[in-house]
Amino acid sequence: MSPIGFIALLIGVPALFLLGYVFIRGSTGLRRYILTRIVLTLPMVLILGSLVFLIMRVVPGDPVRSALGPKGTPEMIQQIRTQLGLNDPMYVQYGRYLVQLFTLHFGNSLVGAHRPIADEMSERFPATLELIIPASILALVIGIFGGAHAAAHRKGVADYGWRIYAVIIYSLPIFWLGLMLQLLFGVKLHILPISGRIDPVIGTTLTHITNIYTIDSIITGNWLALKSVLQHLVLPTITLGLILSGIFVRLTRINVIETLSMDYISAARARGIRERVLVYGHALKNALIPIITLIGLQIAILLAGAVLTETVFSWPGMGSYLVERISQRDYTAVQSTIAVFALLVAMISLAVDVIYSLVDPRVRY
Amino acid sequence: MKHNRWFQIFALVVLASMILVACAPQATPTTPPTAEPTVAAPPTEVPPTEVPPTEVPATEAPTAEPTKNTVIIGVTDKLASLDPADAYAIMDWESIKNISEGLLRWKPGTLDLEPALATDMGTISEDGLTYTFTLKDGIKFADGTPLDATMYAAQLNRLLTIGPGATCPNGVAGALVTPYVQSITAPDAKTIVFTLKNKIGYFVQLLATAPYVVSDPKTFPADTCVLFPEAPIYGVGPWYISQFTKDEQIVFEPNPYYTGDLKPQVDQIIRRDYADAQTMALAVQNGEIDVAWRQFSPDQINPLKAIEGLNVATVPGGSIRFLILNHTMAPTDDPNVVKAIASAIDRNEIADTVYGGNVEPLYSMIPSGFLGADDVFDTMYAAPNLDAAKQFLAASGYTETNPLKLEMWYPPEHYGPSTAAWMELIKKQLEATGAIQVTLQAQEWSTYVTALTGGQAYAAGVLGWFFDYPDSSNYLDPFVYNGGEGTNVSPAAEGTDYGNPINDKAKQLVDLLAQADSETDQGKRADLYKQAADIYADLVASVPIFFNAEHIIYRTNITGTSTFAYPETLNVGPNIEFYYSLINKTP
Repeated sequence: MSPIGFIALLIGVPALFLLGYVFIRGSTGLRRYILTRIVLTLPMVLILGSLVFLIMRVVPGDPVRSALGPKGTPEMIQQIRTQLGLNDPMYVQYGRYLVQLFTLHFGNSLVGAHRPIADEMSERFPATLELIIPASILALVIGIFGGAHAAAHRKGVADYGWRIYAVIIYSLPIFWLGLMLQLLFGVKLHILPISGRIDPVIGTTLTHITNIYTIDSIITGNWLALKSVLQHLVLPTITLGLILSGIFVRLTRINVIETLSMDYISAARARGIRERVLVYGHALKNALIPIITLIGLQIAILLAGAVLTETVFSWPGMGSYLVERISQRDYTAVQSTIAVFALLVAMISLAVDVIYSLVDPRVRY
Repeated sequence: MKHNRWFQIFALVVLASMILVACAPQATPTTPPTAEPTVAAPPTEVPPTEVPPTEVPATEAPTAEPTKNTVIIGVTDKLASLDPADAYAIMDWESIKNISEGLLRWKPGTLDLEPALATDMGTISEDGLTYTFTLKDGIKFADGTPLDATMYAAQLNRLLTIGPGATCPNGVAGALVTPYVQSITAPDAKTIVFTLKNKIGYFVQLLATAPYVVSDPKTFPADTCVLFPEAPIYGVGPWYISQFTKDEQIVFEPNPYYTGDLKPQVDQIIRRDYADAQTMALAVQNGEIDVAWRQFSPDQINPLKAIEGLNVATVPGGSIRFLILNHTMAPTDDPNVVKAIASAIDRNEIADTVYGGNVEPLYSMIPSGFLGADDVFDTMYAAPNLDAAKQFLAASGYTETNPLKLEMWYPPEHYGPSTAAWMELIKKQLEATGAIQVTLQAQEWSTYVTALTGGQAYAAGVLGWFFDYPDSSNYLDPFVYNGGEGTNVSPAAEGTDYGNPINDKAKQLVDLLAQADSETDQGKRADLYKQAADIYADLVASVPIFFNAEHIIYRTNITGTSTFAYPETLNVGPNIEFYYSLINKTP
């Protein structure tokens, strides 16, 4: 699978799936809504990409000079700038950028080895995916069940406990929490690794297929690698997951409390249904609808959180890649990464909206 | 509704699977070399007595933890290229020089050269333009391919033909080869001849740098740079690269055909990339890595010294920090002003207060141990000497009532988080004269370096320097000859490589350096650099501030080889060459 194919599949497959699904199952209103959203995604990415293009060129700094430092002679700098097309007029550069964006080719990096951006993304993106999926699951599990538990014990110790937890955990800086976990579970207790995706030695035995190490170790039956990968996932996942769980706790709590005050819950309670079944079986299910919407919005925060988490845990993903390239003024890498992030957020938001309509049949578009 | 749910689950699984498959990178060969060399040895070749690596192929899942004696080295420096025709970063050179060798090398831990692939130090023609070397017998790549002079010369000729360009973006050949070398030939299978464009006194030092090592023609073709080839990557050095995961780790295995005297002492070296030094420090503390190498900032060192189970060693070499003063614009075009600055700065206070004694005050642009090194700024200005500074300022009419107004620029992030602190201290020290008012201006690196060295828009600013090759010429030439490194005592002029010296002293300095550059007698070169350093200090072409030594942190079961210099720093010395062969580990 070529890197270009990777990007195309990443963006195209969800879109195709949703389109196909709509034509098979959706109502006319929903069908129209989704099509409109997909069509609107293009100008959104275009506007965002153009803004990033402009901002990167307005802020001071030159990628070639930055890379070569004081050792770069003016001749060398000019030669490389010409080769990279940085001496072309701005409109030529912009036109080239748009072509690259819409063909999903993205061009080559302006610094270092000048490798194709798509190649670099295909190396880095799986690492981020491997981090944000378990972190999201952890955040949801803690957030939803914590919120429901708080709602079930409203004004009790558990309720206050969860509310304090939510406020504190959401306010903590990610790098501080990460560092504390590293010091406690790594340096003090020596029970968990604190950096990287896999033990370096065991990593030499892992065959890279998808670059998502958990999947690769399962596919190849490398259980030693799987154990090591899972161990390395624990601290970054907890760091990112805990930070995000706070907002879900608060949101779930409010929605469950609101649902618990509804008539059908009172009726069920009158029929003698146990409180636990009421909260977790009936109220929580209905309270999930706004939470699902929030999941779509949280993806952007998740990606931002991944930037810091990746740095703290030396996790070679897209977040650390973006930070590194911004400091080097690597225009093409930054533009492309943000465009992919934007597409990702748009696609996930779209998917969430579709799921919303399926979970709550009352929703009409 | 149930049907709906199952459909959703199915669709999500399909979607996830497709993304996962799509994420797969292009082929990632990780197979180590087998007993059969990939290029067949000549029929008469005696089979190697050593057994080539037979590790479990990566495609077979191991059932038990690997038992190799492995040393894991952490670094925060990025690898930018593995092609000797292109590579310029420190980690690039470290990788290349561990998997291959050149004709000469620095004796581990020292600035003395010794033969590596050559039988001796070579012969230099009377006119100093021709260098002739003879190759040792039995040199082979890690896949068993023998090396001869023709192959070596052909690979070195890549440097002259591909040079800096789209495929060689880092431009090492343009900096260290093409300006000096006219041709490289192999008259026979054992002899290599370099013909130079001009007489170069430090050409033997250049021969020990990474661009001049042997590269594998199967990996590095004649017409293009290959910055990140697929592993395995072979050379004729003690190691080969068996695996390479970009931005994650690089695995070195012993070259079974290596016959030199730097034989590996452990089974495997893994060099792991870290995003920041703080995490790397925790990793060595936690035992995840055995050695934490480049690079810690000086302020991170003291806390590590207190940790049990770790050795913190200071490497006697590294980079320098200095102030660039622009002699072509006011107010630093006034000799009294620059001398006042040189007199007022207290380097000891900076070293002690900001860095807790983990940097060395620097009184010459040439660090100690190099040819012509002398604490000339100390002799000349005895800094801090506020009275002298006041006198210099008064001579130009600057007093408490009419103070000199000076803007000083610095990049707050590029040279470490403490840069702002020591710039504040310099401001305080200069203002202690009572006749200078300093305004500090911070600017991010890429803009800063463009303005300072390209446009030369600032009167005063900070720069750091790490040598390209360990020779005094590389500590003086770039700041005197006009070459884009912040030179301002000899601004650019048409028709000369040396620019247009601002006055007679600057011209004398340029002439001395040109003479030293072409002198092959090292004793005479030392004298010339000493004279040049005196004039440099008198001009105050720049103000050396401190010498930023390197630090290496390793666990107590790791040792260096005691037969070479500096075993306590794992044999890393002023040349900053880290030979992985000289590390041992008690499992």
